[in-house]
Amino acid sequence: MAFPHRPDAPELPDFSMLKRLARDQLIYLLEQQHEVDKLYKVENKPALSSNEQLCFLVRPRIKNMRYVASLVNADKLAGRTRKYKVIFSPQKFHACEMVLEEEGVYGDVSCDEWAFSLLPLDVDLLSMELPEFFRDYFLEGDQRWINTVAQALHLLSTLYGPFPNCYGIGRCTKMSYELWRKLEEEEDGETKGRRPEIGHVFLLDRDVDFVTALCSQVVYEGLVDDTFRIKCGSVDFGPEVTSSDRSLKVLLNAEDKVFNEIRNEHFSNVFGFLSQKARNLQAQYDRRRGMDIKQMKNFVSQELKGLKQEHRLLSVHIGACESIMKKKTKQDFQELIKTEHALLEGFSIRESTSYIEEHIDRQVSPLESLRLMCLLSITENGLIPKDYRSLKTQYLQSYGPEHLLTFSNLRRAGLLTEQAPGDTLTAVESKVSKLVTDKAAGKITDAFSSLAKRSNFRAISKKLNLIPRVDGEYDLKVPRDMAYVFSGAYVPLSCRLIEQVLERRSWQGLDEVVRLLNCSELAFTDMTKEDKASSESLRLILVVFLGGCTFSEISALRFLGREKGYRFIFLTTAVTNSARLMEAMSEVKA
Amino acid sequence: MDCYTANWNPLGDSAFYRKYELYSMDWDLKEELRDCLVAAAPYGGPIALLRNPWRKEKAASVRPVLEIYSASGLPLASLLWKSGPVVSLGWSAEEELLCVQEDGVVLVYGLHGDFRRHFSMGNEVLQNRVLDARIFHTEFGSGVAILTGAHRFTLSANVGDLKLRRMPEVPGLQSAPSCWTTLCQDRAAHILLAVGPDLYLLDHAACSAVTPPGLAPGVSSFLQMAVSFTYRHLALFTDTGYIWMGTASLKEKLCEFNCNIRAPPKQMVWCSRPRSKERAVVVAWERRLMVVGDAPESIQFVLDEDSYLVPELDGVRIFSCSTHEFLHEVPVASEEIFKIASMAPGALLLEAQKEYEKESQKADEYLREIQELGQLTQAVQQCIEAAGHEHRPDMQKSLLRAASFGKCFLDRFPPDSFVRMCQDLRVLNAIRDYHIGIPLTYSQYKQLTIQVLLDRLVLRRLYPLAIQICEYLRLPEVQGVSRILAHWACYKVQQKDVSDEDVARAINQKLGDAPGVSYSDIAARAYGCGRTELAIKLLEYEPRSGEQVPLLLKMKRSKLALSKAIESGDTDLVFTVLLHLKNELNRGDFFMTLRNQPMALSLYRQFCKHQELETLKDLYNQDDNHQELGSFHIRASYAAEERIEGRVAALQTAADAFYKAKNEFAAKATEDQMRLLRLQRRLEDELGGHFVDLSLHDTVTTLVLGGHSKRAEQLARDFRIPDKRLWWLKLTALADLEDWEELEKFSKSKKSPIGYLPFVEICMKQHNKYEAKKYASRVGPEQKVKALLLVGDVAQAADVAIEHRNEAELTLVLSHCTGTADAATADKIQRARAQAQKK
Repeated sequence: MAFPHRPDAPELPDFSMLKRLARDQLIYLLEQQHEVDKLYKVENKPALSSNEQLCFLVRPRIKNMRYVASLVNADKLAGRTRKYKVIFSPQKFHACEMVLEEEGVYGDVSCDEWAFSLLPLDVDLLSMELPEFFRDYFLEGDQRWINTVAQALHLLSTLYGPFPNCYGIGRCTKMSYELWRKLEEEEDGETKGRRPEIGHVFLLDRDVDFVTALCSQVVYEGLVDDTFRIKCGSVDFGPEVTSSDRSLKVLLNAEDKVFNEIRNEHFSNVFGFLSQKARNLQAQYDRRRGMDIKQMKNFVSQELKGLKQEHRLLSVHIGACESIMKKKTKQDFQELIKTEHALLEGFSIRESTSYIEEHIDRQVSPLESLRLMCLLSITENGLIPKDYRSLKTQYLQSYGPEHLLTFSNLRRAGLLTEQAPGDTLTAVESKVSKLVTDKAAGKITDAFSSLAKRSNFRAISKKLNLIPRVDGEYDLKVPRDMAYVFSGAYVPLSCRLIEQVLERRSWQGLDEVVRLLNCSELAFTDMTKEDKASSESLRLILVVFLGGCTFSEISALRFLGREKGYRFIFLTTAVTNSARLMEAMSEVKA
Repeated sequence: MDCYTANWNPLGDSAFYRKYELYSMDWDLKEELRDCLVAAAPYGGPIALLRNPWRKEKAASVRPVLEIYSASGLPLASLLWKSGPVVSLGWSAEEELLCVQEDGVVLVYGLHGDFRRHFSMGNEVLQNRVLDARIFHTEFGSGVAILTGAHRFTLSANVGDLKLRRMPEVPGLQSAPSCWTTLCQDRAAHILLAVGPDLYLLDHAACSAVTPPGLAPGVSSFLQMAVSFTYRHLALFTDTGYIWMGTASLKEKLCEFNCNIRAPPKQMVWCSRPRSKERAVVVAWERRLMVVGDAPESIQFVLDEDSYLVPELDGVRIFSCSTHEFLHEVPVASEEIFKIASMAPGALLLEAQKEYEKESQKADEYLREIQELGQLTQAVQQCIEAAGHEHRPDMQKSLLRAASFGKCFLDRFPPDSFVRMCQDLRVLNAIRDYHIGIPLTYSQYKQLTIQVLLDRLVLRRLYPLAIQICEYLRLPEVQGVSRILAHWACYKVQQKDVSDEDVARAINQKLGDAPGVSYSDIAARAYGCGRTELAIKLLEYEPRSGEQVPLLLKMKRSKLALSKAIESGDTDLVFTVLLHLKNELNRGDFFMTLRNQPMALSLYRQFCKHQELETLKDLYNQDDNHQELGSFHIRASYAAEERIEGRVAALQTAADAFYKAKNEFAAKATEDQMRLLRLQRRLEDELGGHFVDLSLHDTVTTLVLGGHSKRAEQLARDFRIPDKRLWWLKLTALADLEDWEELEKFSKSKKSPIGYLPFVEICMKQHNKYEAKKYASRVGPEQKVKALLLVGDVAQAADVAIEHRNEAELTLVLSHCTGTADAATADKIQRARAQAQKK
């Protein structure tokens, strides 16, 4: 099923300008060098090039600087003189220059900046391609990228006019927003008088809603990302998909007609859709049977190419589907989804905990196990101390002791925490547990703990109605709400927040939710008085995810847009998923 | 109108020259002008006077006084000269007074007599002393040219960017040249000098003799030479009283004149207006002023007093003890309108307007006359232009009135030229006022631009007028009012007698948050004047915290700088301040500062993590952050250490830290890891193979796979591996080995804590249906159907499901019924369902 937008849906702004800007700037930077003849990936190994000058295009990270310094020093030892140029993207940091100085190569290296911060991955998706943002900010508390975010917003507002309505929630959001406002004030006049193209901006920190990002994705695009990992809008399909011995790199965006029709679909529909499509294609091919020469000529020259293209794409996606099916339709995936839904809805916690324990014991996958533990922790407002200890012990036994550091990270980020035991209750509890068997005691503990402290997530879920009440089967073919992206079990919290705020045009009436999200000081609405925005622009909404967003969230909001006649544009620090989040938090042996 | 042209003097047939008074000077000169060194800046600039005691009496007992006046004679500054003998004075393009001393040192003073800086013209000049010096203006700025006692020239084309250039020697030069001047050609400064009957041109490379074309014979010496304001023309005055006028390139003669006065003139300057064909030179003797040009007769004036000539772009200013006059060629527009019996359209229009005011019908006649010739537009334009060249406001007004009158009869006359002229004249009249004293002509004003004019007003501290002009001309705030306010504030902070609070408040009151005002610049100025406290107060008004940081660092307020940097949200700035602090403070204080600034702390930690691991440890230690310290050592145990002993030691330190952090769990886990590490080492020694760094689970698995079941059991007991895990582990390992016999033994060793379904699953995974079936029978009732389906026994699964009367199970089995083989089973289920529903 293709997704026709409502006829009154606004046009998306043209992002090709961003691409052109970035490209021209890079060309300019590289042309200042003499000819750049070969590109190497920056890896920790000596550069093989025998060229007279080396040019590094790097992120401003200390690690990269040490690599450059080691190369320069190695050349010096070998008595070689070369020119070195480091181009930092998106900006240069003082700390990097410091490192070059400390390593004694500052004088040998010239530095430049490539202010490329927005990569248009698709017609409605801009990525800053800063996956490190998540760890840097949410774990290490490093605010270096906030400036980059503010600059990116500034660039957007200079290109597409001022933003008349801004909403945001989260600490990082608030800082970025304030910094951006400052930038705007300093360069007053540039955007003044321009008609706004984008009517609303919504900024959101990833830590406002970890739950959604931790769930298994079941819409096609998310599932492809979870299974094969989409990098910069393209994916490498291995031999198991292409059913040949070569792997195939496929660009996944709106240009791919087949993909565009299934990307936002629940996976259970995709296969049916693809086979229908295949039949149609066959029918089109079959038409040539009854053709005379002239018609045939027409067919070959006009339609055949398109059909062949479609054919190729179709076979790729069918291959991908089969591969996903093979991996996912096994019993354990069903169980996994069942457990996730139980966690989201907050019933049979004990069973879920045992499931997670078994998951760990069987060494199914370190990241998956970790993800489930985090999901349990967040939905339950932290693990009860007994589970907290035992799950961690099991995890360390299964996956190695270095994960002690991973747990420390997760705790700091608030992803995996321990419930503070209510004193009076524990006293009762211990008395009770003496009287009954272990298993029963566990159940009682559950009961008590849920009495003691209703989880914030649970309360939020109730307030925002995140778990839809379904009478009978949820029809995934004709979705009713955004919950379809999680098989009808859960409406993504982040998307629901956006929906509610857009409806109210402010945070009014959401005070309780904001309080539960621990963001009382950190939610803001900012509207400019002069209302020059056209009604069309007011239905164009820029959603900014700081710390990454998932394809499920994108699909959900695209769905919302179709329902309400909005168009959403997404700006994210990087496209993420549960595995990437967990990786960012994991400590691995170097 | 009658006597309007009374002061017009014809020179030849085509040009008139007029002289009118700008100001009557009531300066209180104690000295005669002739006794002073005089310098007057072009563009109606200030006049500096320094009584020259070094010329007359050898021993000067009294120190001379340097006085600076505005062009209208208002005193601006007066100071006792305490430095060495001065040879020459001159004004730079920025209206700074350059005083060239005999020893080649140039002292630079501001308009208000404030000393700015000094520089030297080099050793050679110092040794040979300065004989003569000129300050000249080029497109690059203001230059100084010096003639030394050794008759050599040294010059610098731009005193702002001092590059001394020693000019080549003139061969055989024994005495000082009779006269010399600087020329500016092809973007380079040259020197033209006259020695006896010869002229020499010095450029950077060489000295070449030159001869002006068409020079009258009999010249034995040049007494005076003059270059025009734009360096285009040159005039030479010879000892025969003959004046040669030509181009500065000496390639072309324009005209010549013989005045028959052999006395050397005091001054000779060009008097011509841009874009005019007329060339004239004004020559001044003690009591005589002569305008000569391409005409047989000259214009002569008598000078009653000592006078001084100041060449301007479009004329000559002449000031004396009592008056200040301007002499210039009458502009074309004025000439056309005011020439006696002129029938030019402008003249007629002016007439028409006058008649109109008298309510005479002649107005109509005049107007008709112009209109018939179709020259009304031209007439209006002429009137507007002529108004610009008039000095007297009443004349300006009558001309503008005429223009405005003429405009009424034109359909489409663009109003901007008229409006702009009105505005310009208002500005000009304001600054020509006696109190301001900048007698700019319209052409000079246009050449100078409004921006420079505003700068000059600021330089004279005429802030209110400057602001009024900005507001009147509606200049953008950033370039106009804000800029002037900022200058004012910079001046204000220098008032040392006013308290810091008052200055800060006054500045804030005036400036508010005017756009484009940088409080940090003003604060920097205050700091430059040694008023640190005031600077800090002013910085508080700076809305951009980032801007405050560099100055705060300079003032050594690093901690304040740190919090401001953090406020700005610019991590790079924070880092810069951190490095400053690190060098400035001792380690303890530095850490304490960090402790209060979490954002800076995390930034610094990030840096340390990669660059200074030891510092990172110290940071944690100082904070008693045992948790992080523990993590730090854990990381070290597998990143930094190679040997097992070292690693165990690191883990021990980590465990201790965790105990201190009251994190018993982490401590215990770490101790377990120490135990495991030692054990793994022993296993490697005893059994060979690879054990170190495996997880506990993997260690046991490896043992089972290696057939060391006993050891595996032992390890499981030692580390209290839960039963469930052990069963999963063994099950997987044995299936991997395909040791079905052992697996069966194991399954029977006791009741499985994980049930028997996993056994079925794992056998099927290894495609061993036979073994799988064995276990399927042992699977508990809850999972029986699943197990049976797994081994492919659909029929039996159906039976069990029917027996359970479980709807979900029935559906599941049904979904497995494929093909004809299972048709019977499917039937059976359907029947059972129907039955169940009946009940």
